[in-house]
Amino acid sequence: MTASRIRLWDLPLRLFHWSLVATVLGAISTGLIGGGWMVWHGRQGLAVVGLLAFRLVWGFVGSTHARFAAFFPTPGKIAAYLRGQWQGVGHNPLGALSVFALLGLLSVQVASGLLANDDIAFNGPLYPLIDKALSDAATGWHRLVVNALYLLLALHVAAIAFHARIKRQNLVRPMITGWHEGPAEQESRGGGLPLFVCALIVALAVTYAASGMWIPAPAPLAPAPTMDW
Amino acid sequence: MTRNTTRALTTAVLLLLSGSVLAQQLPQLKPDEVIRYRKAGYAFMNWNMTKLKAMLDGSVPFNKDQALAAAASINSTVNSGMGALYTPGSDKDSGNEKTRLKSEFFTQPDKVKEVAGAYRIAGTKLAAAAATGDPSQIKPAFDEMGKACKGCHEAFRKD
Ligand code: HEC
Ligand code: HEM
Ligand code: HEM
Repeated sequence: MTASRIRLWDLPLRLFHWSLVATVLGAISTGLIGGGWMVWHGRQGLAVVGLLAFRLVWGFVGSTHARFAAFFPTPGKIAAYLRGQWQGVGHNPLGALSVFALLGLLSVQVASGLLANDDIAFNGPLYPLIDKALSDAATGWHRLVVNALYLLLALHVAAIAFHARIKRQNLVRPMITGWHEGPAEQESRGGGLPLFVCALIVALAVTYAASGMWIPAPAPLAPAPTMDW
Repeated sequence: MTRNTTRALTTAVLLLLSGSVLAQQLPQLKPDEVIRYRKAGYAFMNWNMTKLKAMLDGSVPFNKDQALAAAASINSTVNSGMGALYTPGSDKDSGNEKTRLKSEFFTQPDKVKEVAGAYRIAGTKLAAAAATGDPSQIKPAFDEMGKACKGCHEAFRKD
């Protein structure tokens, strides 16, 4: 096995990652500030919905190392990795656990956010579909789950720092440039433009569904008999 | 109507400044009543904030009088002496009333003063902005009001 330069992360995956970083950090900030920023919070959250939908599809039709099946962490793989016997490129089995946990937790975060309300003047776009009590419950989840997200993000960045400092592996560069050292037969393949367009269409459709724009305005209540007091 | 609102507002502010709202003897309330009135006051402001938001983001047409009425209702609720509804022990459910008040409310008086101060200022500014009838002035005051609500919820309301 001669090490050479290979294509590891395809361009859509890299764009996905750094857009996710920007929108998630944005959503955390605007969510914490509140007030008029909640409108932006909702928009950033919707962008995260689209990114997650894209990633889900790309996990099946993307190039080699972007596919969920390529890095799905089985107990066997994790044990081998911990014994130092893992030989692959791409997400290592332990890192893969964190990838799935991050994607899963972000999904819970957006799902609850879409139904949430801030009790002041902002409602998630799917709020009209449910009643206030359920929305309050979703809001509680949203505020709870974000703490797990903080932990996982801290771990994510710490793990990358650990690889850089202790193991002398630069994981960030491949996530920016796409290139990595590796045996030529591990070169990423597949995930061409047509598949990218398909994934993009799915992402846009899911974002549209989440935006609630399709929900018809509620039939106006019968007006109160006197409106002038 | 506008003049009446202004007058009511002025009276409320004067009463408050003279200390008569806060200092006067209030009727005894049962613990579940305290919680009920407290939640009702906040829910009422929530309704008025929602009306303002809808006018400001264009989902309903802007109406000067409606905006002023909503802002004045918020400001007079802010200045209605709701602090009196935080009786010791009212952080526990009572009767049919569930409460989300954190017990920290009673152990962090400085923080309470800080959030309540910001909230009072925001209320005054919102009412003043609404009096101009200009949405571009109401918008920033509305945003500040929302932040003031959230500031207290972050500190003293359970999830
Ligand atoms: C001084 C602190 C404070 C401020 C300021 C404040 N709130 Fe609250 N709010 C609370 C607390 C505490 C509760 C929980 C009350 C309870 O459950 O007993 C609450 C509850 C609520 C509720 C739920 C009421 C219910 O029926 O359970 C709404 C809605 C609400 N607040 C809206 C607002 C709005 C809108 C503003 C700003 C205009 C605001 N609040 C400002 C402390 C505050
Ligand atoms: C809001 C913050 C972040 C989120 C939500 C996030 C999320 C993710 C996700 C979901 C993956 C898996 C990629 C995939 O889908 O296959 C990933 C991988 C990665 N992330 Fe992040 N990330 C964040 C911040 C960062 C930061 C700040 C850095 C840089 C220091 C970084 C560097 C990386 C790297 C290098 C990988 C690839 C790891 C590997 O080689 O296995 N991430 N991130
Ligand atoms: C990954 C995406 C998201 C992240 C990281 C995120 C994060 C946050 C954070 C940090 C808060 C503040 C919580 C607190 O005050 O303790 C918050 C509040 C909120 N978020 Fe999100 N959010 C996301 C997506 C969404 C979406 C898609 C919506 C709906 C459009 C939404 C709606 C809300 C609402 C209504 C609140 C106010 C809750 C309250 O004040 O009690 N969020 N979010």
